Order: sequence, then structure tokens, then C-alpha cells
Amino acid sequence: MKHFRGTHSQAEGMIQKQPARGLRIDRINKTFGTYRVLTDISFTVVPGEILGLIGPNGAGKSTLLECITGLLPVESGTVSWEDENLSRQRRQQLLWYQPDNILPFAGQRVAASLSFFRRAHGASEADLEQLVDGLDLSPMLNKPLQALSKGYRRRVLLAIALLSRQPLLMLDEPFDGFDLKQSLAVMDLLRQCRTGRTMILSIHQLSEAEKICDRFLLLDQGRMMGIGTLDELRRQAGLSPEASLEEVFLAII
Amino acid sequence: MPSSERLSRFQLARLILIQEIRGLLAAPALWIMLIIVSLLVGYSFIQAVELFSQASRTAKSFPELASGMNPMEGIFVPTFGAYYLTETLLLPFVAIRIIGLDKQSGALKLLLQLRLPPLSLCGIKLAAMGIVWLLSLLPALLVLVFWHHLGGHIYPPEIAVLFAGHGLYSLAVVTIAMFAATISDSLPTAAMICLAVTLGSWVLDFAAGGQSGALEILGSLSLTGMLRQFEGGLLSTTLIAAFLSLSLLFFLLTAIWLHPGRRSAFKLRNSLMVLLALGGLLAGASLAPRYVDLTENRKHSFNPADARALRQLDKTLTITIHLDPQDSRFLDLEHDLLAKLKRCVPKLELHYAATGSTGLFSAAKIDNYGLIEYEYNGRQDQSYSNSQNEILSIIYHLAGMRVTSEPVPIYRGYPLVADARSNRWWFYLILPLFFLGIGIPGCRGKW
Repeated sequence: MKHFRGTHSQAEGMIQKQPARGLRIDRINKTFGTYRVLTDISFTVVPGEILGLIGPNGAGKSTLLECITGLLPVESGTVSWEDENLSRQRRQQLLWYQPDNILPFAGQRVAASLSFFRRAHGASEADLEQLVDGLDLSPMLNKPLQALSKGYRRRVLLAIALLSRQPLLMLDEPFDGFDLKQSLAVMDLLRQCRTGRTMILSIHQLSEAEKICDRFLLLDQGRMMGIGTLDELRRQAGLSPEASLEEVFLAII
Repeated sequence: MPSSERLSRFQLARLILIQEIRGLLAAPALWIMLIIVSLLVGYSFIQAVELFSQASRTAKSFPELASGMNPMEGIFVPTFGAYYLTETLLLPFVAIRIIGLDKQSGALKLLLQLRLPPLSLCGIKLAAMGIVWLLSLLPALLVLVFWHHLGGHIYPPEIAVLFAGHGLYSLAVVTIAMFAATISDSLPTAAMICLAVTLGSWVLDFAAGGQSGALEILGSLSLTGMLRQFEGGLLSTTLIAAFLSLSLLFFLLTAIWLHPGRRSAFKLRNSLMVLLALGGLLAGASLAPRYVDLTENRKHSFNPADARALRQLDKTLTITIHLDPQDSRFLDLEHDLLAKLKRCVPKLELHYAATGSTGLFSAAKIDNYGLIEYEYNGRQDQSYSNSQNEILSIIYHLAGMRVTSEPVPIYRGYPLVADARSNRWWFYLILPLFFLGIGIPGCRGKW
């Protein structure tokens, strides 16, 4: 396994170059018992940016998102927004994290669940209608979530996430369960919704990540292997400008 | 970003409350519980009326027996026994859902990101459970209506205490279930933890029956033991404080342990603080207990003149009892007199002398078996009687008091010969069908 040389110093260097805007993650460490899941994770996300968390299964992507949201305690490290260290209450105001593989209120009709989250998030009915149309959820509104196929469940979860009004949206595996056409449609929707929002997308399918993310944070076994735009990562990996994200990822880890 | 119609915290709480109620109404476990409670209450009521009628026939022939015909003891306590079974064995399966299902489905991760602290979220979930629990009172209300229709007597304060007891018992079970679901990884584990507590309490109460010492105290402090005291129609501040403290303890523990983002040290420290605070509160409440006898026959009270006189005893009254705790004479003495004395006499010392006898028909191994010794202000007396009037006379004699009883209404009982079998279709068919009728659409996610 290759290790991106000087990960910490370079990552920190990058942070120092960034203006104090957006989300700043500083030296997050997380262990489960004696198993270290995240090691010194530091990065920033600027407003309006889509950052892709890239890594194989078990790399620590979901854990990192839960640590940022405050759904998991960290051993050390800080999460700040515009230089403000975020308390749990402030995180509720600023961040929304949509976990992977959840089935909230599975027995209820999709319409009821979406209506609940629309009102809880303070979104308008027009917003919901737009999302229902955009995600082609109309035929499923009167069915319980648990009766839907994996793809439709994923769309409902995406709708719930996109109804949120927090400026930072974190989605765990948003394209999992979609075919290529559906993934492209979802990407279009995410691009439409990115105005005024920052997004962190945890993605293990590199081809999809390459299409939508502005920058990439490469994670492997809880360690940051690199961060930057695809061009920056290509240069860091010493690859040609035509190299795909997959090639870059394989070269770096 | 979607346009904003930001809700106030109160509006958000109300929205989540409705969502929680919806979730509970979609639970098959709830409707199964309601159908079972309907069947059990109906069966218990019909059986109780039959037994009460049999006893009433005798009481009508011998009017002196009529004063023992108390509808509270003969009808309502046995009928509400069905609720005890349901609350102990079935309610935990419904209550664990309000936390456990959200944990299992991942909904909790979303709810915890809304603008409400875990304490509020737990409060909303508990309120939703309380509202849904009201549905289970439907069979009980039918019992009251049918009993009244049969010509039976209802004394509202007694019924209110019975309802309060079951309400507090259910509250304790629900909060225990919530905490069990919070600390468990799965619903079956949570159910097992909760059942271990409720059934353990039942077993403890059963094992403590007729025992003395620590086991007796533990038994009376068990959930079942505490509920039984409500069934007796005696409202006690200590008992209410105990139920509320226990419920508050598990509720706060749930709120502390619910959020997975809190460190273990924080959870442990706060749990300890809650435990100490509520322990102190309970200890404080038990230092100055207050009792209200809400029975119609005032079975927990002395004549008002006796009660006033006993409260004026400023020296220590010592009573030494040479009876085996399992002896029926001891049990009568304890229930009919000692319990009342404990509530009235400011300084009462009870000594239970060791005995070798095991009961009325076994040979006593000591000569003074059955003797009760009294000591007050240096004066002593003794007697083998466990009659209330005789014992009070001894105490007044020792204290140098003369007490004349006040005239009080005589409780004559309410014997009734009736047949409740014609009501069985309500409990066995109509009510279950009603619950099915609204439960099936709920379970199909129609609401």
C-alpha cells in the first residue's frame, strides 16, 4: 500500500492556505475500543463546494461523517464553522447528515414521512413537490417506505436530505443502488441544490465521484491519503493529466 | 436550498409528537395488546361479578356479612388484575418500540439532528406513549359503565386511586422499557431486560409474601408491591414519590444515554448525579410521609377521635409481638392495626420477637407465643388479643388517656346479585373488532 507522503503536514498546509470560511475539521481521532478508526483527520470545505470522501468500504467515511455531525464522540479534534468551534446545538443548525442504509418510519406512507421532514426542516410544499417530481417519487407516495425497492428507498432518503435547510449537507453513499441513468439524474438534482450549500458526499464508486465532486479527500484505513482537486491529486500521484480518479486513488493508497 | 418556514421549538415538538403517535398506532404489538386487554378485562369482570353475586346471596341472607361486600375489593381490583398482567407482560413490547425501533431503523440519527435536545425528544416519546396508553383504558371504562348499569355501586375516589396506581405502574414500566431500548443493541434484548425487571418484581413480591425482615421490605418496594398498596385504596406520598422517582430516574437515564455522540464519562457522571439527586428526593419524601385513606369503608383509618389521640402520644410506644410473621393472626394484626398505628403514632417501635411456631395449628415452642407486649412512658401491659378496640384501650390506659369515639357513618356494604354475561360480546367481540378496525389501517401505514 502506498502512502501519500507528508499527508499531515501537507493537509495542514492546505488548511492554512484556505480562508477561515466554511467547515474546518482539525485533527479528528476516533477509536472503537482499541481499534483506531480515524487518525488525525484535518481538512476544510469551503462554502458552495462539493467534497467527495473517497475510500474503500471500511475506510472510515461514515464514521468521519458521524463524528463531524456529533453522532459519535471523538477522542480528540475539533469541528468549526467560520472559525466558530461548533457545539452540538450549532451543529444541529448548520449540518445535516443523511446516513446510509437507514429506513426511517418504515411502516408509514412515503407521503407522510416526507411531509414530516418537510415541516421539521421548515421547507415549503413547493420544495417538496419539486423534489418529488425531480426524483420521480409520485407513484410511491402512498406506499410505506418498507415496501419500496432499494432504488426508491434511496430516492426518498435523498428527498429527506434535500429538504433540509442546513448550509452543510453530508450524504453517505448517495448513489448506491442507482443505475447509471439514475445516478446522473441525481447528480443533476444535487447540482441544482448546491446553490448556497456545501456538500460532503461519501462515495465508494469513483466514477460517480469524479463526475460531481469539486475536490476529493482520499481515506484508507482511517487515514487521510490525500486531498485536492483531481488535477492536484494527479500531480501529487505523479500521474498524467488524463489519469482517472480510480488510477489516482490506486496510485496514492 | 429550500425556502424556509422555520418552526418554533414548540411547533417542532408537536410535529414530532404527532409523528410518534402515528408510529405507535402503526405497531401491531399495540393492537394485539389492546385486544388481549379487552379479552382479559372482560373475562375478569364477568368472573368477578359471578363470585360477587354468589357472596352477595349469602350476605343478603345474613345482613351482618353485607359490610364485607365491597365492590372495590370484589369487582374492580380483580378486574384490574387483567391490566396488571398486560402492563407487566405486554406493555414492554410496545414501549421499547418508541426508542428501539428508531434506533434500529436509523430514524433516531435523523431525529437527534433536529433542533431539540435528547431530553425533549424523550419527553415527546413518553407523551406519545401516554396518549396511546389511554386507548387501553377503554375496556376499564366499559366495566364501569356496565357495573353501574347492573346496579352496582361505584365510589369514585377508590376508582381514582386504582387508576392512579395503574397509571404510575405503567409509567414506570414504560420508562424502564425506554431505558432498556436505549442501552440495548436490538429490540429482543431490550424486551428481555424490561421483562426481567417487571417479572423480577412480580417474583420478588411473590417470594416476599408472608416473609419478614429485608425480604418483606424489598417486596413492598417492588413495583408489584407498590401497585398493591394503591389497590388497597390508600394514597401515600411516599409511594407516589417512589413511583415518580423510579420513573424519573429511568426517563432521565434514557435522555442521558440516548445520544450516541456523548462520551461514556459524561453519561456515567450524569447518571450518578441523577441517581443521587432522586435518591435524596425519595429519602426526603419518606421522612415525612402523608397518607390519604380514600376507601369508602375507611378501612385504613381509625375513628377520627382515636387518630387524634394517637397523634398526641409524645413518648415512644413500644410493641413487642411474639408471633410468627406467617401466622394468620400476625397478618391480621399487621393489616388491621399495626399499619394504622405506624401512620398515626409519631414514635412507634415495633419488635418482632423470635418465635418457633409456624402457625395456628402447630405447637408453639415458646410459652408466650401469641403474646403482645406494650410499653409507654415506663408503664407496661400485655395481651393475647389482636382486637383493635382492646389494643387501643390498653394503649390509652398506658398513656392515661380517655378517648370517646366519634359517631361515623357505618359502612353497610353493597351486596349485589347480578349477571354480567350479557356484556361479554362487548369485550370478546365488539371491542376487539373495534381495535382491529382502526389497527389494521394503522399497521398498513394508512395514517
